[in-house]
Amino acid sequence: MRTPESPPAAGEAVRRVHPLVELRVDRSAFEELERRLENNGPWDNWTLYRLAWEAEQAMRIGDFHELWSLRMLPRFTPLPHQTETAKRVLRDMHGRAILADEVGLGKTIEAGLVLKEYIVRGLVRTALILVPSSLVLQWVRELNDKFGIPAVAQKKSHHWDNAVVVASIDTAKREPHRSLLLEREYDMLIIDEAHKLKNKRTGNYKFACALRKKYCLLLTATPVQNDMGELYNLITVLKPGQLGGEPEFSATFVADRRVPKNRELLQEALGRVMIRNRRESSDLRHPRRFVTTVPLTLSPDEQALYDGVTEYVRSSAREKGLGTAAALQLVTLQREVCSSRDAVFLTLFNIFKKAKEGSLLRERVGRLVELLKGVKANTKAEKTLELIRGMDGKVVVFTEYRATQDYLMRFFAEHGLAAVPYRGGMNRGKKDWMTELFRRRARVLVATEAGGEGINLQFCNRIINFDLPWNPMRIEQRIGRVYRLGQTEDVYIYNLCTLGTIEEHIVRLLHEKINMFEMVIGELEEIIHVLEREETLERRLARLFLEAEGEGDLRRGIDRLGDVIAGLSRRRRGQG
Amino acid sequence: MNGGEVARFVVSFLEQTGCRIIERSPSHVVVKLSPEADRALTNRPFYWSFVDRTGAEPETMTFAWHFEPPGTPASSAPGASAPAASSSASAGSAGTVPASSPAALSGPAVPGYSFASDAAGTGIAAAIAGTAALPLPGGRVLTEYLHFGSARLHQIFDYVRQRGRNVLLFAEPPRGARSADPFSRAYTAWLGVNFKVAFECDMKREDLYSWGISLATGVIDENFGERLKACKLTARLSPEIRLLRSTLTPRKGMARLEAHLERKLRRGDFSWAVEAEERRREELERVSHYYRQLIGRADSEEQRRTLEERLKDREAEIDRQFRPRMTVTVINCGIFHFPGID
Repeated sequence: MRTPESPPAAGEAVRRVHPLVELRVDRSAFEELERRLENNGPWDNWTLYRLAWEAEQAMRIGDFHELWSLRMLPRFTPLPHQTETAKRVLRDMHGRAILADEVGLGKTIEAGLVLKEYIVRGLVRTALILVPSSLVLQWVRELNDKFGIPAVAQKKSHHWDNAVVVASIDTAKREPHRSLLLEREYDMLIIDEAHKLKNKRTGNYKFACALRKKYCLLLTATPVQNDMGELYNLITVLKPGQLGGEPEFSATFVADRRVPKNRELLQEALGRVMIRNRRESSDLRHPRRFVTTVPLTLSPDEQALYDGVTEYVRSSAREKGLGTAAALQLVTLQREVCSSRDAVFLTLFNIFKKAKEGSLLRERVGRLVELLKGVKANTKAEKTLELIRGMDGKVVVFTEYRATQDYLMRFFAEHGLAAVPYRGGMNRGKKDWMTELFRRRARVLVATEAGGEGINLQFCNRIINFDLPWNPMRIEQRIGRVYRLGQTEDVYIYNLCTLGTIEEHIVRLLHEKINMFEMVIGELEEIIHVLEREETLERRLARLFLEAEGEGDLRRGIDRLGDVIAGLSRRRRGQG
Repeated sequence: MNGGEVARFVVSFLEQTGCRIIERSPSHVVVKLSPEADRALTNRPFYWSFVDRTGAEPETMTFAWHFEPPGTPASSAPGASAPAASSSASAGSAGTVPASSPAALSGPAVPGYSFASDAAGTGIAAAIAGTAALPLPGGRVLTEYLHFGSARLHQIFDYVRQRGRNVLLFAEPPRGARSADPFSRAYTAWLGVNFKVAFECDMKREDLYSWGISLATGVIDENFGERLKACKLTARLSPEIRLLRSTLTPRKGMARLEAHLERKLRRGDFSWAVEAEERRREELERVSHYYRQLIGRADSEEQRRTLEERLKDREAEIDRQFRPRMTVTVINCGIFHFPGID
């Protein structure tokens, strides 16, 4: 865009019609008329002339504040809270806002609506959308499919020249891209997962601050209010000085790093730049969730393998020192046994390969492999088959392990059950293809991955957790695949639980103690965010298992952990 | 624009560009494009340069365009906002077209387009692979939902804007008046101009004016657009018409119209601009306060310069975002000859 001082182009004139307002006149169409009069034509067709005016009338923006883009999206009906959010961003926040809805309420859609509206009004021509690399294609598809915005994924250097570009922030901030982007002036900048900008010493943060933009949207699901410093930095990317200079901000709003003071004043200040829709307050019909624990008893040979592995894990951990990372990793072996012998075999095999020939370790692992060979059937797989046969409709089976996934694919095939695999390593096209096959042809999807580029499986409402991740966010992502906007049926979740194993404790903690399978999506994220400031839940659990002296001790340890989480959950509700 | 208006618009365009309409109902049209329309819409510059260089007989594309949303009226699936669900419904409803694909998905590149006359399986595969809407080998029909806001309609808008810029027209003499009334044969010229006025700050609004000025008398008609609608116009000058001399050149006429518009605009409501200016000042103060503090505490000359640079960037952004401004654009204009003198 030209600055007011630069001379007018041909066909243009500038006049002042109000002390504040310059009027620019573009009469190039008239100058063309003069040329044609001089040359005696050629003349355009009268109907096309009228159609051109009709098109202009149809495109006319008749109002400063309405969402004009909605009439251009007849195939897409945003939810009321999404439209309302877009309107507030345009009208009250003038195009610079933090969108902080809880997970699953459609922040991408809100951002798309705002972007579309500005494009339709001719206020945005160029837009840069920076996202984690795993989300690039998903953004491109959403913008194209839902909004008809011709967004392009940045892969080659010349892609930056497109009007609307979606790129990974990690690529964009590196040379040679960096200098190229810093030279430009974008009409709009959108940053997804913006909570990653919270640290002002990082390259991401500095880069985001240096970009030049007219409008700006920052998207985050993580509640930034939990850390005052992070909150301040995020707002500085958006509108430097909105909360005053750093000293003023500290004096006015910060009691402690995590505790704000003048809470109401802060809320009011935040309300001017941030919108956070909550699930409870949005007018969404919530399907119910039914969670069933399916208890299983291992067969004697499976139990023998489990006991063997447990013994091995305990003794190795004692040798390595209980708290070490290496020791904590050993617990994985126990979890793998609970899943399938195929899963544990791979890990054992790797240990075996690394051990010196003739060493004690080799001998011990060799014994475990002998036990493993004795296992002929998989109790869990048989139970899963029985469950699926007793259900109507489609089912997603989640497992943590690739080897278990392969085993289940073979097992289902042998029993004439149509299943398709899904895993993180697949490229986008293959993932889509698998999703499509599942929708049309198969009854079962066996998935190892639930996060990343979201697959949407609203057409399915049953999940079997063949085994459970220890990272609760991953569990939430699993549930989120089917329990999301657009799910109209109640959702059924089955957790397989092998009694007398490490798995039983995990299911008891997650399901009975903290009731996480019925938690509001998004709630967990906040709790975990606080809980994991010191140590991840996975590590805490692993430590508990290694350090506990006997079953009773372990039980009490897990109960205490459960109480801490439940306490955080209560506190959060109190705040909300 | 609703479906009916879009349909009328598109059919007018097709007729004007010499396209061959194969099938038509109020809610759809199947059309074989003329070379001109094909060049304008199908984005095949390489193909057309090939045709131009070799003189080969051009094979233009055939489209089935639907003007009502997919799924109406039979199955307006409530809440089908999932992309996959709605797009599969879109193709499924294209039942009026011969050989339409029952299960094509929309490709990511060109939303809403799907392959017709193709087996369901390959349709999905092609769409997923993102290869939708490439030129099709002979005889295929591309099915699209063409609605207000769709990329295709906007291509047509762009075309008519390019090709409907300037006209020179004559009102047809009233029938039977030929011999009786000598005045009906004396014609004067009018300059008709379609203006678009945009009011812009961080938000935007537009007004449209279709005005005319008599080049014989300087009279300005603010309802010129209505007047044009009411009469029959032709590009041919009939021999019995006598054109009276103009006293104004088109350039002078244009200057008067612009001055007239400017006076009208000056009298308008500028509260939007006052408010935007207030926001602009507030924002400028805010960033200036923030950076001045930092600059005051800067450790090195270099840091100070960087911060000053940053402040300048921010100020320029704010200016770009909020500074109130207006633009008048001449959309199209023409010389119109009417009987008599106003």
